[in-house]
Amino acid sequence: MPLFYRRGFRRLLQQGLYVAATGLLFWYIYDALNLREFGFGFLSDPAAFKVANQWLIDIDGVTNSRITMYLVGVWASLRVVFVAILLSTVVGIVVGVSRLSSNWLVARMAMLYVEVFRNTPLLVQVVLVYAIFLVGAPIIQEVLNIGDFAFVSNRGVAIPWPVPDAGLWGLPDWGVGVWVALLIAIGAVAMTVRRQRQDRERATGQPQYGNRWAFGIFAVGALVTFIVLGLPVSIDRPYVEGTRYLEGMVIRPEFAALTIGLTLYTGAFNAEIVRGSIQALPRGQTEAANAVGLSAYQRMTLIILPQALRQMIPSITNQYLNVNKNSSLAYAVLYDDLFRVAGIIQNKAGHALEMFFVIIVTYMLISLVISAVMNLVNARVTRVGV
Amino acid sequence: MRLPSLKGRRLVSALLFAGAALVAGAVIGACTSDEDQQQAQAVEQQTQQQDQDQPAAQVSGEPRGNTLQLIMDRGMLKCGVKQTQPLFGNRDEDGNVTGFDIEFCKAIAAAVLKDADAVEYIDASDASTRFELLADGQIDILIRTTTITSSRDMELDVDFAQTTFYTGQGFAVRKDSGINSTRDMANAAICVQTGTTTEQNVADHFTDIGLDYEPTGGLSQDVAAAFFEGRCDVLTADASDLASRIVVRDNADDYKILPQIISKEPLAPGVRDYDSDWKDVVNWVVHGLIRAEEIGLTQANVAANAANPPNTEVARLLGVPFEGGSVSTLGFEVVDAQFIQRAIAAVGNYGEIYDREIGDAIPRDCTLNALARPLPSEAVDCGPGEGGIMYALPYR
Repeated sequence: MPLFYRRGFRRLLQQGLYVAATGLLFWYIYDALNLREFGFGFLSDPAAFKVANQWLIDIDGVTNSRITMYLVGVWASLRVVFVAILLSTVVGIVVGVSRLSSNWLVARMAMLYVEVFRNTPLLVQVVLVYAIFLVGAPIIQEVLNIGDFAFVSNRGVAIPWPVPDAGLWGLPDWGVGVWVALLIAIGAVAMTVRRQRQDRERATGQPQYGNRWAFGIFAVGALVTFIVLGLPVSIDRPYVEGTRYLEGMVIRPEFAALTIGLTLYTGAFNAEIVRGSIQALPRGQTEAANAVGLSAYQRMTLIILPQALRQMIPSITNQYLNVNKNSSLAYAVLYDDLFRVAGIIQNKAGHALEMFFVIIVTYMLISLVISAVMNLVNARVTRVGV
Repeated sequence: MRLPSLKGRRLVSALLFAGAALVAGAVIGACTSDEDQQQAQAVEQQTQQQDQDQPAAQVSGEPRGNTLQLIMDRGMLKCGVKQTQPLFGNRDEDGNVTGFDIEFCKAIAAAVLKDADAVEYIDASDASTRFELLADGQIDILIRTTTITSSRDMELDVDFAQTTFYTGQGFAVRKDSGINSTRDMANAAICVQTGTTTEQNVADHFTDIGLDYEPTGGLSQDVAAAFFEGRCDVLTADASDLASRIVVRDNADDYKILPQIISKEPLAPGVRDYDSDWKDVVNWVVHGLIRAEEIGLTQANVAANAANPPNTEVARLLGVPFEGGSVSTLGFEVVDAQFIQRAIAAVGNYGEIYDREIGDAIPRDCTLNALARPLPSEAVDCGPGEGGIMYALPYR
């Protein structure tokens, strides 16, 4: 048999070629990296630029390092992702349930929403929302004043916002931290009471009103500590001076456009997941709920949704991961997310390869955290008997 | 466990084989495609030489081969240009790229390749990747309203040729805004182009004057659109950029550009580091176009002057004999002595390019872009501190 047709030789040849090709590829990459002075030292140089200040971040970029500014961008991305995930879940549940409503109008409206937002590109939606905001909202000179309470213009929406306050006893800056710590402690107590009462309810069959007790304890505790500490938080009301918003909290159009776009788009997909999960439940569940005389609301909140939500977690996790990745569309609406800030750094410092490496690692980390949290939730809700 | 059937195993090994062959082909192909062959060889040679006496990390920035030769062999100039800025580099409805920067691509193509249309316009509109395009060899030259700065010149793989346009960072505001200088901009919302020197200039400037501001950053055309919708009080960019954004608007009269200029922005073509022959050609084409304006050579009269040069200098600049004897000292092995003549014939002199592409949108008289020594017929009275610095280096 000729050498080429021998099995052993051909295997050797195949593997040899494979190893050679892989080796060449890595050599090529190594060579290319060397040629570019691959390294991350440039990230500690001064940034010398500024991005829009975000909630909790008040930073002057001229003296900060590039990595600090990058983290500001990461924080901006996280805010959008967090809010969009929360809102899109709410939208998904409401719309998903509405699609199954026996009310013709409600069901059709929900369907229309889903079909419109599921079948158009997210980029189009985000840019459209931003354009609507810029063109549709009044200019700052003609700001829409909602009872001196909130203001709407195409510079953003200004709303009242709680801020730490020295209060009656002249607390230091960290005074509000004491109150927050107390709130957490009171919350823990309330949750413990709730659990004990629920256990007793299960054991005795007598209603123990665990939720009401927990809420009551928390509300009273929060109010009492708030007064005792001398009102450590005050509400900052916005006002307009010239063309500037002062005080309060300004929701910038860029943030709003991206968050609304992500919410509407992801909400449509979530609604379908919710609808599918509910329809996948055996009909017997609904019939059983009806048989024991539960109202439609009770049937949904006590029987259907708890089981349906359990089923939909794996699919909805994918949607959350998509929110994270799609948040990079900030690029289209002038929002300073991590991708844009990375672009600024890259333009000043070169090192595109390193910057993209950092970007990819960041998105992966955020995604992995989302997955990990959702896996925890999944493990918890799929446990029978909880 | 059962072994997979013989058929299945054959399939697997065939797939592996095909995959390996594909990868090998791709790698070899990437290394030796026609266009990059010369460059790759040059890089290899240089790398080998450098490896002997220098650490590997310092290989970057060493000679990359001769771009001029590469362009001649390819017969096509790859020009990285902006496609989103009226006046300088813009793509019109028909897909044609036009503008001030584009004219220099044409001039260089005419000079080097004897054909002003032998240019491939590669989109370098995104400021944040333009230098990568150049360093990667995807473009031969970057003519894209790019400012010369020390950090770019020293840190990036870019070398700048002669400045083609002098501008500076300015501010545009609505006329009714009551803003007359940056002192009036406390906490103002400012639309800033990202990925440019403008962000740093404005950050530095506001630090210096001790005021705060709220930036909204984005691509040049996006922030301009946001500004015109009233998103920001102020739009900041190169004054030339601001003018190009305002001039195309119907309500251009509602806006003004403040006289205050907070930076120097000399816009120049960029080439790769350590590529002297190529940079020389680019430099002397730009100087040649300026010189042509200084001595009154135009697109219309260049042929007549070449046929019958009035003096030795014109003969030398156009690469033609004077009174029967050669006076030319121009040109390289690969570029003949008539390269400036072809550039002028293709696009006209510097002043003609300016009038055609920019014209009254950005007045030229008494600005840095005027000739340092205007033609007597065009001389205008400029105030103190005004006047042009466009000054061609001598051809001899």
